[in-house]
Amino acid sequence: MSFFTIIIRGLWRRPVRTGLTLLGIAIGIAAVVALVGISRGFEKSWGAGAKQRGIDVVVSTLNSGLTPKPFSTTVRDRVAAIPDVGATCSVFVDLTSVESASMIMVSAREWGGFSWGNLKLVAGRMPKDAMEPAVVLGQSAAESLKKKIGDPLQLESKELTVVGIVDGGALVENGSVVLSLPLFQEITGNQGRINILDVRAAHEMNEAEMRKLCDRINSAVPEAKAAIASEHISNSEASRFIRAMSWGTSLLAVLVGVLGVMNTMLMTVFERRQEMCILLAIGWKRGRITRMILWESAVLGLLGGSLGVLIGVFGAKILQRLPAVNGLLEPDLSPQLLAISVAISVVVGVFSGLYPAWRSSRLSPSLALQG
Amino acid sequence: MKTLFALLFTTLTAAADPATDLAARLNSLQQDGTSFIRVKMEIQQTTLQVQIKQRRIPGATEVVYQILWPKERAGEAVLLRKTANQAASGALFMPPGTVTKLDSSRMKEPLFGSALCYADILENFFAWEHHAIVGTEMLDRASCQILESKPGKGDRSIYASVRTWVDTRRLVPLRVEKYFASGKLARRIETTRVVTNDGHATPANLTVHDAARNSSTDIDGSNIKRGVVFDDATFTAEGLRQTAAPRAKAD
Repeated sequence: MSFFTIIIRGLWRRPVRTGLTLLGIAIGIAAVVALVGISRGFEKSWGAGAKQRGIDVVVSTLNSGLTPKPFSTTVRDRVAAIPDVGATCSVFVDLTSVESASMIMVSAREWGGFSWGNLKLVAGRMPKDAMEPAVVLGQSAAESLKKKIGDPLQLESKELTVVGIVDGGALVENGSVVLSLPLFQEITGNQGRINILDVRAAHEMNEAEMRKLCDRINSAVPEAKAAIASEHISNSEASRFIRAMSWGTSLLAVLVGVLGVMNTMLMTVFERRQEMCILLAIGWKRGRITRMILWESAVLGLLGGSLGVLIGVFGAKILQRLPAVNGLLEPDLSPQLLAISVAISVVVGVFSGLYPAWRSSRLSPSLALQG
Repeated sequence: MKTLFALLFTTLTAAADPATDLAARLNSLQQDGTSFIRVKMEIQQTTLQVQIKQRRIPGATEVVYQILWPKERAGEAVLLRKTANQAASGALFMPPGTVTKLDSSRMKEPLFGSALCYADILENFFAWEHHAIVGTEMLDRASCQILESKPGKGDRSIYASVRTWVDTRRLVPLRVEKYFASGKLARRIETTRVVTNDGHATPANLTVHDAARNSSTDIDGSNIKRGVVFDDATFTAEGLRQTAAPRAKAD
């Protein structure tokens, strides 16, 4: 019988207990995969949206809320006057309830601005002019609002017409109601106000140059903050809070898993005391006994982690389809996250086995004679 | 001189009473000037998009609720106002042009068929005369003081008492229970989501349960703009016809 056969047999001795322990770890790891995947996906989808619009720098006041606070449109002129700024596009983004939908992204863009450029018409047409009472919908926004070309869409107190369905190339874009900025400003009473300024650099820039450009913008417009487009959301307070919450909740779930494995391995050591003493009596070294316990808990971690990844991926897909988040979130279930989750699980397994392994190493071969 | 002493004594005792102090702090938060709010109301399988224009200042409250969606009910509106200890009054607007006056006897009527009645929108029980802290309780992991408010002689209300579970850390009501004179529970309002704006916690989502009709309404706050500029006609029967959003204050 090989060393690993002994390990597997040790775990198989109490299949129900081993199964429940696996489930405990799996739930913890599933929480890591689903929650961290969703929080990463949130940041990634915003980043992808910015990339699709060809933005280098985002100027906004994003803090603890999900949407930035408004500021004066004069910010645009001051930013546009900075050397190395190639183009700017004023935007007003609002996360709001539209008709029966709880939360939809409404993205109002400067008429003729470059942020319209990435929208590819799937059906219908674009608005004819800045004040035409019309919107275009991203594909998933059209689905969740159950709208087609020609349908009315009530935005605040104004009834608009859906004139086009667009593919924005990113989840955030496809989940948005898009309209012209002057129309939105009039509907919402936000004349002279925007809450995001998209900025394109005048020429190709490396990261250091981009940061210098952000510094220059920050000096020119102290009421808002410039950030490299890809970092804009991840640097926000809301994003940091979501990340901290998802990791915090996940680690709590993992802690429960640690205690479960530790309990199982301790019970194993108590129940198999005689077997271990016999192994010591026939010449096994204490280190080998310790390794056996650590391997058993590591295998528990590996299997629990693998099961947890499957449950987590499945759970995240279900969360993604919930009506409240449909079209707003896409979990980032990268192989890197899945590998990290399994690694965490194995480390948790080994860590949980340390104390039981230490207890097993203190057994004496003479105890085998006592029965 | 005697009056001055009496006034001073009343002020000092009031300041020393934690219940009165808590009610006063909540009262000042209620009277937050002008605001423009949009909410989604779920009334028994029916969804309404509603906008609220309100001006709440010490001694006077004026509120307009207007339905924006669905189309078949768009434009329905109600104006409510109350000044100091005067009786509440208002007007009801049904498109295309029917305006009905509301007097204080109609304050028990439901707002747009919801679990809320007109009095719930208008009455500020934190401004009532009598307050007492009648207990503490944990709600949603928040430590709450239970504040019981009762109207004084000059206060007019359809309720005999109101109990408010106040999260004392964030100074936000997490539950409100309103009782009739018979002691029967009339309404329970639960705060299901709190948002923090500029350091101030505000109830964003509410569930209202009307115990008498055994019906519930979910209210989800979508947007709030404070310090907006309303024109003079906003809080008049004529203003009920206007659904345009007020202009935000200049930055």
